[in-house]
Amino acid sequence: MNFLAPAALVFAVTIPVVIVFYLLKRKRVVKLVSSTLLWQKFLAETQASSPFQKLRRNWLLLLQILLLALATFALARPYFAAKIKPAHLRVVILDASASMQSTDVSPSRFESARAEALKWVDSLAGRDQMVILQAGAYTEVKQSATSEKAALRRALQSCAASDGPTRLVPALRMAESLVRDQPGAEIHLFTDGAVPELREFENKALPLVFHRIGVRANNVGLTALDARANPEDARQRAVYVNVANFSSNQVETELELRLDGRLLETRPLRIGAMEISPQVFITTQPRDGIFNLRLSARDDLACDNEASLVSLLPRPVKVLLVSKGNRLLERALRAAPLVQLSVAQSLTDPAAGFDFVVLDGVVPAVWPRGNLLAFRVPNTNWFESLSQIQAPAIVDWKSTHPLLRYVGFDNVQVVESLTAKTPSWASSLVDSPQAPLILAGELGRQRIAWVGFDPLDSNWPLRISFPIFIANAVEWLNPANVQGGQLLIKAGEAFRLPLLHPETSAQVVLPDGKVREVPLDATANEFVFGETHRQGAYRLRIGTNELVFCVNLLDAAESDNRPRDELRLGQFERVTATTLQRANLEVWRSILALGLFVLLTEWWYYHRRTV
Amino acid sequence: MANPLLSPSLLRTLEQFQLLASRRARSSARGERRSRARGQSVEFADYRNYVHGDDFRYLDWNLYGRLERLFLKLYEEERELPVRIFLDASESMTFGEPVKFDFARQVAAAIGYVGLCGFDRVSVIPFPALPPNGQTDPAAWILQSAARGALRAVRGRKSAMQFFQNLAALTAGGQADLNETLRRGALEARHTGLAVVLSDFLDPAGYEAGLTALVGRGFQVDVVQILAPEELTPTTYGDLQLVDSENGAVQEVTFGRFRLKAYQQTVQNFIQRLKEYCQPRGINFFTAASNTSLEDLLLRQLRKAEVWA
Repeated sequence: MNFLAPAALVFAVTIPVVIVFYLLKRKRVVKLVSSTLLWQKFLAETQASSPFQKLRRNWLLLLQILLLALATFALARPYFAAKIKPAHLRVVILDASASMQSTDVSPSRFESARAEALKWVDSLAGRDQMVILQAGAYTEVKQSATSEKAALRRALQSCAASDGPTRLVPALRMAESLVRDQPGAEIHLFTDGAVPELREFENKALPLVFHRIGVRANNVGLTALDARANPEDARQRAVYVNVANFSSNQVETELELRLDGRLLETRPLRIGAMEISPQVFITTQPRDGIFNLRLSARDDLACDNEASLVSLLPRPVKVLLVSKGNRLLERALRAAPLVQLSVAQSLTDPAAGFDFVVLDGVVPAVWPRGNLLAFRVPNTNWFESLSQIQAPAIVDWKSTHPLLRYVGFDNVQVVESLTAKTPSWASSLVDSPQAPLILAGELGRQRIAWVGFDPLDSNWPLRISFPIFIANAVEWLNPANVQGGQLLIKAGEAFRLPLLHPETSAQVVLPDGKVREVPLDATANEFVFGETHRQGAYRLRIGTNELVFCVNLLDAAESDNRPRDELRLGQFERVTATTLQRANLEVWRSILALGLFVLLTEWWYYHRRTV
Repeated sequence: MANPLLSPSLLRTLEQFQLLASRRARSSARGERRSRARGQSVEFADYRNYVHGDDFRYLDWNLYGRLERLFLKLYEEERELPVRIFLDASESMTFGEPVKFDFARQVAAAIGYVGLCGFDRVSVIPFPALPPNGQTDPAAWILQSAARGALRAVRGRKSAMQFFQNLAALTAGGQADLNETLRRGALEARHTGLAVVLSDFLDPAGYEAGLTALVGRGFQVDVVQILAPEELTPTTYGDLQLVDSENGAVQEVTFGRFRLKAYQQTVQNFIQRLKEYCQPRGINFFTAASNTSLEDLLLRQLRKAEVWA
């Protein structure tokens, strides 16, 4: 036997209550009478009479008959033969991003959103169904379509806000697929509106109902963090941090910098309304460690007031230049900091002892395993086809890529270049009208920067951008920097670590001290850990190695926790926050209260009029 | 001195009555009742042969003249009628509005007064008997004892006032044993006569043995059952714990208005059983609530039943 609403079994406690009513001993009035003889005879006559008596008009009897009739009627499951209206689907998307932890509404925006969503669950009518989606760093289906309110409540209760950013697009995409071709379906989005643009959904006519959560913006947060060698003194470390004030008032606060828990510096800050204050801390770092920055501001969102960063001391970069002779390139490489350059005419081994290899027009006999900077090297494994073009004009370059930071290609002319169609593993950094000239990407675990032309066939080495490009390449291709970059991830993103040796298990200690044992496949060549909802330092033990990686929010869109009155879907479409309240009010509580009242009336009447 | 029990007008009415007894008086004392005994009166009864020593004054000389034989004229001896009034003075008689015991005393006074006016010997036997001295107030005990003693045998109209006062001095209390009282009363009586039982008959042990003893002894028995209005129609409803005033027995009952008729039917059944017991045995039965009119009982019911005329 199954129950549609097993929670209703809790009403069985009313049975002992009724029994208790009957067990209650009546308080009798003591009365002195002349003799109890007549009363004894009276009781004997009335009790010893026939088992049946004449049916008297008795309100008590009528009430009991009424109750039994109603119960029997209900057990018969009466229904009306009518045309069934199609069930409506409601997709509830609960924003579980960091900004929903704001405490401007008590106890938090997330709890308020959950409570509001629970009201909508309560108001679910008849056969209407609901889907619960939790939108955080990734979208999670907490409950598939069902009209079972208990399951929906459980699903909502299992939701939790994370320290990660909002990725509403996947959630809305999933919701859109659910409500497609469903007449009357609605998407209820419970969020504060601190979401990235939803241009994708412009003109999709989404049946979106935006429930705005939150009342004010009062937040100061860290939105960017990095640590590098001091450009002016390589022995020192420079910690870059952006502090943004998203409230409408000027904020005075203090910013603390700690290294492995030791306070290095406290800096008072005064940040105007809606301003970003970039701060640079110059400090010495005797060993590898964790920089921790903390804002003392008391604002509505606490999770962006702290950020951590694993900082590894710079190590010498061993570079092998395989070239027939290119003094400009060699000098540019030597000029880069911490580079230990070796030069060879040819390459016959994988160059395992070097951090990366620079191939200057030389096709090696054995391709190196490490990272690679290749000038005019035709490798058919990388490209489908290669061709040559003469005097390609450089029309565009991607200055946001780390390789092209501060690098410009104005006044750079190229005589001749190899070109190839951009492969899937790479992206084009410098484009000519015909084809890309410089490509960069990651093939397997190997970072490759490919320049299609020989620098000597251009005037690029004479431009300031060339040594900067080489310095950028040294930094980008340095495996230590690659690893360092891997040690800083955003909340909700997966932590990945290449495995050099097969391992069977790993252990991760979370910021709150909990330990997660992660079993590994012996054939796996990468360790992936996805439980990064909370920011802080995670300690990983895998084999004999132990390392620390940091998870941070560092998201300006999340820190900007102003509740929005409307969501922008592209340039023209907007969804205004709804004032819609619960649609359907159930009346079963009132009916139950009425039944209880009838029961109590019956009990009262029973005792008032006596047996 | 005013009579505390009966009004003067009622007394005047009662003076015209005389107790009727279907049986001849068997008392040895002279009175105004016809008896089987021969003696001095104006009522001729019979003749008998003269024997030596008879009083010449009763010889019928006219008969001697005709028959020349001596016959003695016999006259009926008029004797008194012993009236024994068994008065229930138990605790249960102290209930009711008016109190049942007061009503019973009034009935006893009336019957006793009629008896006294008819030169009958009236005895009032209150029961239960007084507890031994020392258990109650000694002065009250002495007063009670004296009153009870004085009521044991009263005769003559001149004793009526004292009779009333003694009756008024009686108090009720204690647990009665009706059967034992009547049985003992029947045994102790030297001469049978009229026995009047004034009681509520609410005795758990019943009444049959006592009444049977009286009838068997030769008494003409009149029974007056006196009930309180509350006993006929209770006015207290709800969950009750009833305590018996005499034996302290507890009876829990839940009583409401809708069961009133059933209760009244029970009371009527109880009365009917008593009545049905009395009728075959020649016992006059009367029932009255303590709030009914005394005149109605005395002047109408008792007269109609020919208790007196």
